[in-house]
Amino acid sequence: MSRKIALSAVAAAALLSLAACGGGGADDSDSTGGAVTLRYAMWDEVQKPPIEQSIREFEKAHPGIKVQIELNNWNDYWSKLQTQLAGRSAPDVFWDHVSYFPKFSKEGVLTDLAPLIAQDKVDTSIYDPKLAEGWKVDGKVYGLPKDWDTIGLFYSTKALKDAGLTPADLDGLTWNPADGGTFVKTLQKLTVDENGKRAGEPGFDPKKIKQYGLAMQAPTGQQDWWNFALQNGCKLQDKPWGRWTIDQPACVQAIQFVQDLRLKYHVAVPATVTNPPNGPSLDQVVGRGEAATAMDGSWMLRAFDTALPNGGFGVADLPAGPVGKGSVYNGLTEAVYAGTKHPKEAWELLKWLISERHQKAVAQAGAVWPGITSLNDVFADAWKAKGVDVTGFKKAAEGTTMGYPLTEAADVYNVKALDIFNQVWLGQLSPQDAAQKITTEANAAIK
Amino acid sequence: MTDNITYAQPVRGHRRVERRLAARARTVAEAYALLAPSLAGFLLFLVAPIFGVAALSLFDWNLMGAPSFVGLDNYRELAADSEVWRAVLNTIYYVVLNIPAQTVLALLLALALNRRMRGGKVLRVVFVLPWMAMPVALGIIWSWVFDPRYGAVNQLLGMVGIDGPNWLTDPAWAMPVIASVNVWQYTGYTMLILLAGLQAIPHTLYEAAAIDGTTPVQRFFMITLPLLRPSLFFVLVTNTIGSFQIFDTVFVMTQGGPGGATDVLNFHIYQQGFQLFRSGYASALAMVLFALILLVTAAQFLYFRKRTVYDFS
Repeated sequence: MSRKIALSAVAAAALLSLAACGGGGADDSDSTGGAVTLRYAMWDEVQKPPIEQSIREFEKAHPGIKVQIELNNWNDYWSKLQTQLAGRSAPDVFWDHVSYFPKFSKEGVLTDLAPLIAQDKVDTSIYDPKLAEGWKVDGKVYGLPKDWDTIGLFYSTKALKDAGLTPADLDGLTWNPADGGTFVKTLQKLTVDENGKRAGEPGFDPKKIKQYGLAMQAPTGQQDWWNFALQNGCKLQDKPWGRWTIDQPACVQAIQFVQDLRLKYHVAVPATVTNPPNGPSLDQVVGRGEAATAMDGSWMLRAFDTALPNGGFGVADLPAGPVGKGSVYNGLTEAVYAGTKHPKEAWELLKWLISERHQKAVAQAGAVWPGITSLNDVFADAWKAKGVDVTGFKKAAEGTTMGYPLTEAADVYNVKALDIFNQVWLGQLSPQDAAQKITTEANAAIK
Repeated sequence: MTDNITYAQPVRGHRRVERRLAARARTVAEAYALLAPSLAGFLLFLVAPIFGVAALSLFDWNLMGAPSFVGLDNYRELAADSEVWRAVLNTIYYVVLNIPAQTVLALLLALALNRRMRGGKVLRVVFVLPWMAMPVALGIIWSWVFDPRYGAVNQLLGMVGIDGPNWLTDPAWAMPVIASVNVWQYTGYTMLILLAGLQAIPHTLYEAAAIDGTTPVQRFFMITLPLLRPSLFFVLVTNTIGSFQIFDTVFVMTQGGPGGATDVLNFHIYQQGFQLFRSGYASALAMVLFALILLVTAAQFLYFRKRTVYDFS
């Protein structure tokens, strides 16, 4: 009897110790056969293949380091990363975004790179200062530029041809809140119903549209209404780090215009199809012929090239609004987790990711505009070789731009905006009410 | 008195009692030793976190910085938070849509499959299959089925000339769609439990009742239903608890939308805890959900305790 008890006690102890092991997930990545395994987190699967290829070269040059890429889409990325940061098991190196940077720098979860930059004499003057400056706080450097992006009008060459238009017809389009301007007129020509009638023609049936003129999708506003807002003279905030002012008329008009494109003019793909997070990405929407054009970021070029290969797509400038042209401009950084168990190796990986060699390889693959200014031509040439003129993105970056709002309410804005604007695009909420709601809720989160 | 009894025990008997007590002590010790592993797991992974969450609900903590004690502030805030009340009502709405439909359907299926019929065993497996599939994968597939433009549902409705709604983006339809997906998924499981219950009812009871001249309907209400109570009790309690905790289908299909129409408590807890990083507030919400489930389960226990027969012999 007593032996049985002893046995079960041993079994219990064994189970408990097993259970205790379960929590130590962070240690799993520690060492495999003497090599250190670093975790590198990102959210864009379009960029992953060329980055991974370059990282394999890094591994060859550093036999002691293995890199494991962790990919999660934008919506899950931030939940997961912040939960991992709380659990002290964040990836060693990860993509950082300006809307989360303030919180991260405040909570001390990012490694200050300044001493490492000084120690290894890394030349940071090669990066666009517009990109690098935002990540410095009190002499500390919390990330180095990975890339930059602006928004453009992607179009299907076939859809354009079918409508009797040329790419030049997309140049110099304008919109206004009253009648939509030449932008809406052009999109009407690109909107076709099942009987082949185009929007604006007699007998056109807006209930049975086969191809829409435009597709839009943006979880925050970056790829859709923020651009119209900028072109309409709207300011999302009274000042950086300030209060939200989306309830101002110029902003409401811009939101109204995006709603009108769908519900009044019937030229944009309905929100039931495109609303994030479940809607298909816009390269898919244009690729399968549901839309002729799409407003999207320069990081989507490779995706459009896959959906519409061999000259099947091109990029035009966004239209100009009442105030003029303008695009959202943004850039990401590579950051090192302050709690990494392998600070030395993580810094080696970061140095690779911000090196000319890596960013050149990624630019040559056409993934993203590089953080290193001198490599911009490499990216443009890579696309020129494929017959796509991408210089419009660069012109947009040099023109009137708006960055991501700098705020401590990024979490609240991102979560609420997704729900609120999805309702506006569906016609369930008026632009005025939506603007008031998001302004109130985001401002309530500012202390 | 006690003295008398002690003296009255013969010496042999005294030893027997001692032996019996010792044996019993051993049995108890053995039982605890055997229970220890699962008990340890239960305490460590189920009971301890409940106390952890209860404690956390008194703090304000964004998971990264230092937590600060705020007393009952989180509870005061949630009592005045209209989104919380909406989430409570949404959750109850979901349970009300889900449980009756699922239980009645499962009972009808169980009654049908309880007869000897060709292919009955195959059908049993077919009905249980959805229960074995992953809810997240199912959610994605059902989103396609309910897609307003390309989904099978609206294509079929279109064939008979009905212009189907935008199921998942229409505030009136989103919750019924979520509920129907879950009814579809869990009816097979409920049916299985009820079928087992049906098969445990002795045939002799029906034969005797038939001889007494009862109709099939009478036999259902006077024999089947009362004797099925233990199984019904089990499925109602476990399914109700499960329904209050609905999360995965909502997460995959609607993310609480449109306009909060499917924002159930568990999703709201997730959003507050893991998207807005208000873990103290999320913990307070979790305590509300816990209390809600506790109340409903207690009510179910009270109702069934008086009316349930476990022994058929």
